[in-house]
Amino acid sequence: MITGIGRRAVAAVEAVGRLGHFVGDMTRALPDVRTWGRLVAQQMRRIGVDSLPVALFIAAFTGVVLALQASYTFTGAVPLYFVGTLVGKTMMLELGPVLAGLALAGRVGASMAAELGTMTITEQVDALETLAYDPQSFLVVPRVVAATAMFPVIVTFAVATGIVTGWLTSLALLELSTAQFLKGLKIFYVFKDLWFGLFKSATFGFTIALVGCRVGLGTRGGAEGVGQSAMRAVVYSAVLILMLDAFWAVVLL
Amino acid sequence: MKRENEFAVGLAVIAAFCVVVGGALWLSGAHLGRTEAVYTARFRTVGGLGVGNPVVLRGVRVGRVEAIRLASGNWVEADLKIYSGVSIPPRPAVIAASASLFGEWAASLYSLDELPDDPNVRRDLAEARAAGGTRWPGATLPDIGQLTAQASRIATDIATVANRVQTAFDSTAVSELRRSIRDFGQVADRLVQVSNEQAGVISRVGTNLRTGSDVLAQAATNLQSTLGRVDSATNQGQLAAILNNTAAASHDLQQSSQDLRDLLSAAHRNQESLVRVLVAADSVMSRIANRSGTLGLLVADSSLYRETTLTMIQLRQLLSDIQANPRKYFTFSVF
Repeated sequence: MITGIGRRAVAAVEAVGRLGHFVGDMTRALPDVRTWGRLVAQQMRRIGVDSLPVALFIAAFTGVVLALQASYTFTGAVPLYFVGTLVGKTMMLELGPVLAGLALAGRVGASMAAELGTMTITEQVDALETLAYDPQSFLVVPRVVAATAMFPVIVTFAVATGIVTGWLTSLALLELSTAQFLKGLKIFYVFKDLWFGLFKSATFGFTIALVGCRVGLGTRGGAEGVGQSAMRAVVYSAVLILMLDAFWAVVLL
Repeated sequence: MKRENEFAVGLAVIAAFCVVVGGALWLSGAHLGRTEAVYTARFRTVGGLGVGNPVVLRGVRVGRVEAIRLASGNWVEADLKIYSGVSIPPRPAVIAASASLFGEWAASLYSLDELPDDPNVRRDLAEARAAGGTRWPGATLPDIGQLTAQASRIATDIATVANRVQTAFDSTAVSELRRSIRDFGQVADRLVQVSNEQAGVISRVGTNLRTGSDVLAQAATNLQSTLGRVDSATNQGQLAAILNNTAAASHDLQQSSQDLRDLLSAAHRNQESLVRVLVAADSVMSRIANRSGTLGLLVADSSLYRETTLTMIQLRQLLSDIQANPRKYFTFSVF
């Protein structure tokens, strides 16, 4: 048993070391803007723009549920205009970034892991190296940069969508006017609510892309390995998103 | 394909930027393109007032709290950004207060001439004004937490008093109190009885009064009748005669009164003489009582009485002898 624990501990340290080594390689590749710069737009389109429907769909229903649950909780005790407060604060600070991050961890992280895993097992990565392309500059940096840049954009639209659906729900299903909802929305707003959520979402994007690329480039075996890489990318990304969420809450709030 | 990607990404980024900037400005209540004046208010404490809280004038939002900082002299300064076009009240003052039970705070603008009737607020504002400068004076009302804490202290005091009352009201005190109440009940019963009796007396007095009133009414009737007769007598000249007789009688009475007054004056003088006589008699009697003077000695000395008596006897014998033998004692000669 002791041997097993030791083996796992060593493996964990090695994993952290490999990830650190991977981040170091990626950092060294950052100055190679001519290589990754022309690929960023495509990745931003795939990671950001193409992911908007999923993120907005989730955010829309999140706003509806938030408004309804808030009214259910506040009935008889708290003025109903606090529904706006809860919807706005929750979407900006927590649910917008986290739910979008988790959703995109499945879509983007798994996609990256599967794509890069396939390239790895089909030796396309080796071919790039043979052609003097740095896989970090060509494959990793564009994805990480694109994800880091586009996640705040996605979360911005997600937050706005959640607030709008919460407002529509309040109008349609609750005895709440637009003025009351907006009063609750504005009453405790501080700019930190907005930048905190956007900053957090950027770190989520960075983490998802980094994990997806690292797991994808570390794929071994055939199609089964690709599948396991995709699964691991989603799991690792989700776990890291929640850990980062708690970390930033402790550090920044 | 590449341009299409760039267009889509650029559109998304610009839209997100607009949403973020516009949303932030809208939610924070910023007024772009409008000049806003910043004024600074001075507080001892700002309570729960925070950056971004509204500044209201008569309940209408006219600005927001822009910044809060510590200042020298144990003051706290708050920068208030007031929208353009807002008429600031003359001699302005700021009162920070909780706007609701849920932690919302607001800075309310007042004129120093129209302050709420709160001595603590007036004192704080006077203190802030006394510090001088161009800062607006500020005061802070206690929030609901402080009020509930104070209420909690009051409740604790009441509980302490209640415990003391409970301690004071032991079984003996309760029995005495019960007895006192019983006595009080008896006193009340007696008071009721007395009241009933007094009510009977008052009823009788009322009856008598009613009877007296009837008599008075009868007397009034009689008087009216008499006056009627007087009126008829007046018509026959009898009343004039009566009045003349009355005048004569009055004159006689005046004369009699004068005589009586003279008589009394004489009597007064006689009284003075009588007093003097009585005083003299009293003196004589006193001397007699003191065994002084002739009479006193006569009264006091029995021998003198006996001698006097004997002398009288001898004098009576002498007179008898003189009557019997006048020639023995008297000699008449004509020539």
